[in-house]
Amino acid sequence: MRTSEEQLKTWMIGGLDGDAVAHGALLSALVPLLRNFYRRRVADGGDEIEDLVQDTLIAIHTRRMTFDRDRVFSAWLFAIARYKMIDHFRRARQRVPIDGVHEMMGDEGFEDSSNARMDVERLLDSLPPKQAGAIRATRIEGLSVAETAQNAGLGESDVKVSIHRGLKALSERIKGNTL
Amino acid sequence: MNTDALIATLSIGVKPVPRRAVRRRLVLGIMAGGAITLLLVVLGLGVRPDLSLAMRGYSFWMKWIYTVSLGLCSIVLVSRLARPEATSLRGLWLLAVPFLALAVVGAVEMAHVTPGDWLAMWLGRTWKLCPWLVLMLSAPIFIGLLWSFRKLAPTRLRAAGAAAGFAAGAWAATLYCLHCPEVSAIFVLTWYTSGIALAAGAGALVGPRFLRW
Repeated sequence: MRTSEEQLKTWMIGGLDGDAVAHGALLSALVPLLRNFYRRRVADGGDEIEDLVQDTLIAIHTRRMTFDRDRVFSAWLFAIARYKMIDHFRRARQRVPIDGVHEMMGDEGFEDSSNARMDVERLLDSLPPKQAGAIRATRIEGLSVAETAQNAGLGESDVKVSIHRGLKALSERIKGNTL
Repeated sequence: MNTDALIATLSIGVKPVPRRAVRRRLVLGIMAGGAITLLLVVLGLGVRPDLSLAMRGYSFWMKWIYTVSLGLCSIVLVSRLARPEATSLRGLWLLAVPFLALAVVGAVEMAHVTPGDWLAMWLGRTWKLCPWLVLMLSAPIFIGLLWSFRKLAPTRLRAAGAAAGFAAGAWAATLYCLHCPEVSAIFVLTWYTSGIALAAGAGALVGPRFLRW
């Protein structure tokens, strides 16, 4: 599961406020993101990519004051990653086409995932609260039916029925587009 | 070093970063370099002997308001280029405000003297030296800004270098006012601005080399 923009930004701001745990959590969460980012764009396996990832982590750490708390974290992150990649190619005297940060954010799925999340929230809000709550707990937060039932103080079968009815209503709504 | 060990090292002793850290660091770099420039002006060129008298007159303040306002604009400009994301440089036209204002002052001044004196007014006594002195005096401030940039993340290095050179030039010109005896607005408009432009050009030239990270 990839870490969301909100979570990354929360950690980033925590780190800027001096929270070492948040800072460490941020850097760790960035590792798979950056590996993925460079793997798609740098044609070399192994060492080169790991060097780039580490280089970028160090840059993010030393230059973290340049993050503006009012702006989007992933835009800042990918701007740094992109710069490090260009610098890497410059050293290697390699030429590759490099797309803009906006396309990259699309590529890396941030735009899609945040748009999708907004759509889901809108749809769920149109359901009765009991059904919406059951779907949110089981399908988005990933709880089991038993846990959800316990949290809500309902029977398990009640939760199952709510999920079933809710999903059915949602699929009808999407098909008929009656939002 | 493996990546986990690196992260563990980087997470030790994380210091809080205040909101205005970028500007604060730029101002600090400019002040550190400016101290050297001030020393060069005072010990090397000498403060103009009539400074306290001049500070009661209008032309000293006309010069200072011009260079200080360029200096303040330049800090905003540099702090934008010090961030990695592409930022719009839409605010750039603000730089034209001090320039145009001084041009108006210059035109008014020219209207008050006979056209025969215009050339003397424009060239003053130091026009050959002024831009080069401003350029030279900007070097320590530029070096101070290079220190600032060590924790900043410019991605357009040539533009960032030009902006840093421009800032260094504007603040060097501000300190040069302590020495410079010239009084006319068109002198300042031409030769001070040339000096600042030279500094910006020099910054653009060396930016990609010195600002890499």
